[in-house]
Amino acid sequence: MSIFTPTNQIRLTNVAVVRMKKAGKRFEIACYKNKVMSWRSGAEKDLDEVLQTHTVFVNVSKGQVAKRDDLSSAFGTEDLTEACTQILAKGELQVSDRERQSQLEHMFRDIATIVAEKCVNPETKRPYTVILIERAMKDIHFSVKANKSTKQQALEVIKQLQQSIQIQRAHMRLRFVLPARDGKRLKEKLRPLIKTVENEDFTEQLEMLMVFPVLQVCLIDPGCFRDIDELIRCETKGKGTLEVLSLKDVEEGDEKLE
Amino acid sequence: MGHTSLEKIIALQKKTPHIRNLCILAHVDHGKTTLADCLVASNGIISSRLAGKLRYLDSREDEQIRGITMKSSAISLHYTTGNEYLINLIDSPGHVDFSSEVSTAVRLCDGAIVVVDAVEGVCPQTQVVLRQAWLENIRPVLVINKIDRLIVELKLTSQEAYTHLQKILEQVNAVTGSLFTSKVLEERAEKDAEAQSSCTENGSGDQVYDWSAGLEETDDSDLYFSPDRGNVVFASAIDGWGFSIHQFAEMYSQKMGIRSSVLLKTLWGDFYLNAKAKKIMKGAQSKGKKPLFVQLVLDNIWSMYDAVVTRRDKEKVEKMVTSLGLKVMSRDLRHSDPKVLLSAICSQWLPVSQAVLSMVCEKLPSPAEISAERVEKLMSVGARRFDSLPEQTQELKKAFLDCSADETAPVIVFVSKMFAVDSKALPQNKQRPLTQEEIAQRREQARQRHAERQAANQRLWAFLELLDSCSHHCFNCKRGDIPIENESSVTEALSVKTAVEEDNKEHFVAFARVYSGVLRKGQKVFVLGPKYDPSLALRALPEGCSAADVLPSVPHMACCTVDSLYLLMGRELEELDEVPTGNVLGIGGMEEFILKSATISTSPSCPPFTPLNFEATPIVRVAVEPKHPSEMPKLVRGMRLLNQADPCAEVFAKIEISASKPIIPFRETVIRPPKVDMVNEDMGKQQKVAVIHQVKEEQTKYPEGVQVDSTGLVTLTTPNKMATVGVRAIPLPEEVTRLLEDNVELIRTMEQFSLFVWEDKTLDINQKILENIQEFKVKLESNLQGRKWRGAVERIWAFGPRRCGPNILLNSVEGYRRPSVWQCLEREKETEKAEIRDFDNSIASGFQLATLSGPMCEELLMGVCFSVETWDMKLSAPLAQQDSIDEDSRAAEPNIDNQNESSDTHETNTSSASSNRSRSGAEAAGSSVDCYGPFSGQLIAAMKEACRYAFQAKPQRLMAAMYTCEIMATAEVLGRVYAVLSKREGRVLQEEMKEGTDMFIIKAVLPVAESFGFADEIRKRTSGLASPQLVFSHWEVISSDPFWVPTTEEEYLHFGEKADSSNQALKYMNAVRRRKGLYVEEKIVEHAEKQRTLSKNK
Repeated sequence: MSIFTPTNQIRLTNVAVVRMKKAGKRFEIACYKNKVMSWRSGAEKDLDEVLQTHTVFVNVSKGQVAKRDDLSSAFGTEDLTEACTQILAKGELQVSDRERQSQLEHMFRDIATIVAEKCVNPETKRPYTVILIERAMKDIHFSVKANKSTKQQALEVIKQLQQSIQIQRAHMRLRFVLPARDGKRLKEKLRPLIKTVENEDFTEQLEMLMVFPVLQVCLIDPGCFRDIDELIRCETKGKGTLEVLSLKDVEEGDEKLE
Repeated sequence: MGHTSLEKIIALQKKTPHIRNLCILAHVDHGKTTLADCLVASNGIISSRLAGKLRYLDSREDEQIRGITMKSSAISLHYTTGNEYLINLIDSPGHVDFSSEVSTAVRLCDGAIVVVDAVEGVCPQTQVVLRQAWLENIRPVLVINKIDRLIVELKLTSQEAYTHLQKILEQVNAVTGSLFTSKVLEERAEKDAEAQSSCTENGSGDQVYDWSAGLEETDDSDLYFSPDRGNVVFASAIDGWGFSIHQFAEMYSQKMGIRSSVLLKTLWGDFYLNAKAKKIMKGAQSKGKKPLFVQLVLDNIWSMYDAVVTRRDKEKVEKMVTSLGLKVMSRDLRHSDPKVLLSAICSQWLPVSQAVLSMVCEKLPSPAEISAERVEKLMSVGARRFDSLPEQTQELKKAFLDCSADETAPVIVFVSKMFAVDSKALPQNKQRPLTQEEIAQRREQARQRHAERQAANQRLWAFLELLDSCSHHCFNCKRGDIPIENESSVTEALSVKTAVEEDNKEHFVAFARVYSGVLRKGQKVFVLGPKYDPSLALRALPEGCSAADVLPSVPHMACCTVDSLYLLMGRELEELDEVPTGNVLGIGGMEEFILKSATISTSPSCPPFTPLNFEATPIVRVAVEPKHPSEMPKLVRGMRLLNQADPCAEVFAKIEISASKPIIPFRETVIRPPKVDMVNEDMGKQQKVAVIHQVKEEQTKYPEGVQVDSTGLVTLTTPNKMATVGVRAIPLPEEVTRLLEDNVELIRTMEQFSLFVWEDKTLDINQKILENIQEFKVKLESNLQGRKWRGAVERIWAFGPRRCGPNILLNSVEGYRRPSVWQCLEREKETEKAEIRDFDNSIASGFQLATLSGPMCEELLMGVCFSVETWDMKLSAPLAQQDSIDEDSRAAEPNIDNQNESSDTHETNTSSASSNRSRSGAEAAGSSVDCYGPFSGQLIAAMKEACRYAFQAKPQRLMAAMYTCEIMATAEVLGRVYAVLSKREGRVLQEEMKEGTDMFIIKAVLPVAESFGFADEIRKRTSGLASPQLVFSHWEVISSDPFWVPTTEEEYLHFGEKADSSNQALKYMNAVRRRKGLYVEEKIVEHAEKQRTLSKNK
């Protein structure tokens, strides 16, 4: 009979448990904290830096080791390391604090970068800096949601930011060529979607098919692009055309202040 | 001496030959302002008791607190020696950071007092000011200050002090001498070059070689400082005494009966007095005798100090006082501080103001004596020679030289800077005595307002100060330190400012000098900006017009009325009605016309004066942004004020950095707009990605649908399986990249042209540009040679990013001929009608997107050629059918086709004539829209991805923007310069010694990413003896592979497992990725075992 003393008990500290249910059995492995995500992303390549021990458990906290039979039936191998890597790759885990923090930080920056890329100050048509956007995002207490894509969240942020600072999505510059017949009618429909019309041209071109094109250069909100495209394609039955002149209408370069 | 009245000064202003414009220049803490104090005291403006302690010309609060001068300020003094003189004195700051102030001050003067500390000797800034005075062609005189320190602090004997002073004088003369020799050598070199060119022209066989360096021929003796010339004064401004040899010579000639002219010659130098023979003999040193200077001059002063300060021998003091015939007040005699007594005695015995001012009046030129050389230098702008200026302008030279205050003489005024003045300080707003009731009435209001205003003012000034100090000290702050830390105060101050603006406006006063004519209040004048060109204007304007006429607008010229004129009296301004030639003055109400410096004239033919010789050019760019974006306009205004107030700050508005205009890259001129990301000032931002020539084995992971063959050809299919593109990435030769970079404008023109062709319009390009394009094409062809590039130039599809960058899309699709980008060249030739496939634009757009952001850190690509090798359209049935029909219709009806091509766009894949077909096309497109979005979009995405993978299939490298950096350094600090350079990954290109000086010129390249704080570090390490100039030069490939990991045992041992210590490219790449919020491959925790196991709360 062994005497149960603390000295012959190996205490695992600093543990992150990765669980997986396979073949009706629960398997767990003991990993170090903050390491599993790095392993999954490929940044950590040393398995020993991730696993506390190459043992597969049924329950880590109780120290119950999984049976060999169960392992082979579930993973098709008796090699513990192989089983461990499978569990590491697919198992579920509690994301630890620092992992979560760094992930959210990344996403926050990513969102800010996207917003800075897409938006301009409507007064000057110059883009904002990422840092400025980040600060503005903090000011409106924007919190990142880990399960939504950054682009999606960026679009939301733009709407929220509009209430606190002067910001606007950079306009797209489009050119339509509309057949004269539908031109007037279409223009009415397009009007609400278009921000500003820069250039309108009702030139009558004597073509063989007597198409009188209406040329129009205008700025639109990028969000409306699909609608406009749809509208023109359906309404003109393919005769009207639409050309993107620039994706972002942005001022660039130095300007010396005088 | 009583306070000189304003009327007196006005009267004196009219006597041009009796005006002296001079500035005081020196190294920091050598006693400029103290000396100025003494001079001011001589005019009774301040008490002579306070002179040296008050620092009258340091009128700003912060100047007083910090004890240094920051802004130059002017004062007009009156001095009488037989003649009456008006002295316009400008006190300048000595600190390196304010050297722009020195530049502006020097410009307005005819002479300069160079002050040197007797203990410290020649310091870096002394050299700088001497050089500046030299460059501006103004005559310097020397004041050796703080002689008392030699006695009291260093406890030198008079003999030692003499040798010490000699040494200092030699040092100063050495600097002047080196300036002189370098000038002579320069002239010599120019002459040589001219001679050579003339020789080759003549083709004459017999050449005469002249070895003499020309130094012997040119007389330089009048340049040097020497006491016997009378251009040196020995002084102790703090104790209020100073003397030149003249004074002593006269004194002793009476006493000893030696002729003063003899004494004058022998008093300084290796002479001694043989008392027995009553002769002055040469060779004091070799015979171990006391030189005359020591015996007659220094010994007296030494004994005086000994009696007064060291031993406090009252009896002896009294004896001395009586023997000198001075009267010392008993109050001073009894004073416990010996210094008081000392200065009381000295300031009567040898008043410094007397010595300095008499020297100034004798030795420095009056405005009327302006040299023709200097005038020409002032008038010729930049590289233009004086002779090339229009005739009328050349005539003005005479006006300059005459310097007459006639009514008819044209007015020429140069404004060297604008400075801010509180409106309360303006004379017209000065408080006038009020009646009793008014006072009582206002007292209440004032009391309230005062508190507010006080607070507001303080904050405003704090803000302007802060911006100012930013401009000067921005080196030492890491990005964000100053701007962001202090932003709250900035915005606060600004908001306060707007609030109080109504009743408390800042006024800008132009700091100016009249060179010719009389400037009157209410006069109409032309204000000419620095870029104004008289020859252009003369053509535009009618003959003999004046500013009062209504004139057509000429660039950089404005007409305005002179609002008000001020006499600058330190912190006071006195209003004047007119200012005759040769005077320094302040002009009010010019802030709308003058930005920083300008020329004011009544004649439009006046050229703008040459820009100032700034000893410090703007070096560092700093981005400032408001804490709250909504407060941007206020920041803009703050920037404007700063821009106007500090001659050295250049304010740029910059993309990216700010929402609206203000970005202030202080002290840095950049010669071209950097790439998108470049300006962000934390590190590692200007990398581009490039491919270089080696082939690497390692394959990165590719997602499905991408096939890569061994030669780097990447084939990719769109999600709807309708199109496949095969792309290969090829590095462009370096010369081609450079060529493309240089010809961005041409490419843009070509792009515009083909765009117009698509629309069946024509764009007229002038012949010159066409020639340029042709030349560009030929150059490209000559650079793109070899089998790989056969016919490549003709096959160029597009340039990118943004349609004009340094990357090329090549059309290598078999059987696809599209109009070349060189269309504009072949306009005349009727080339065979090349057809454009549908979606041609999508491919090009995909390429544009791919080049806009590379896979390494989403930066622009550079020097990459993407060659489209295959492009198959496996279109699904309806679309394919439709497409083929479309092709048919094209063949049948080329005319319509033409128009369709013009409308070849993203969306409408077909637009053939028949509505039937187009409907089917629309349907086909519609069907594809359902699952994967519009087809053209898919193709763009596919093309972009293909390019990216093709790129990744090749070894990738980062490119870093490089600065070339020129450093002037003396030999002793060379080592430290090198240390700083190598620490910052800089590379020295060449190092040479400047002829005739002991300065080395080092040329180096330095990555822009490493340059932040570079200038400051180098200055700190070399104690200001080396100053770098950074100019953007080129992009350079960083040779290390960012993805490199050690593979062999040796490498592992050398670099460690991750090799992150040495891999510069990886460091930059990760920094950029981290900044952009992209994924960086790094572990959250490096060592799993070493984590803190406790929970956060414990």
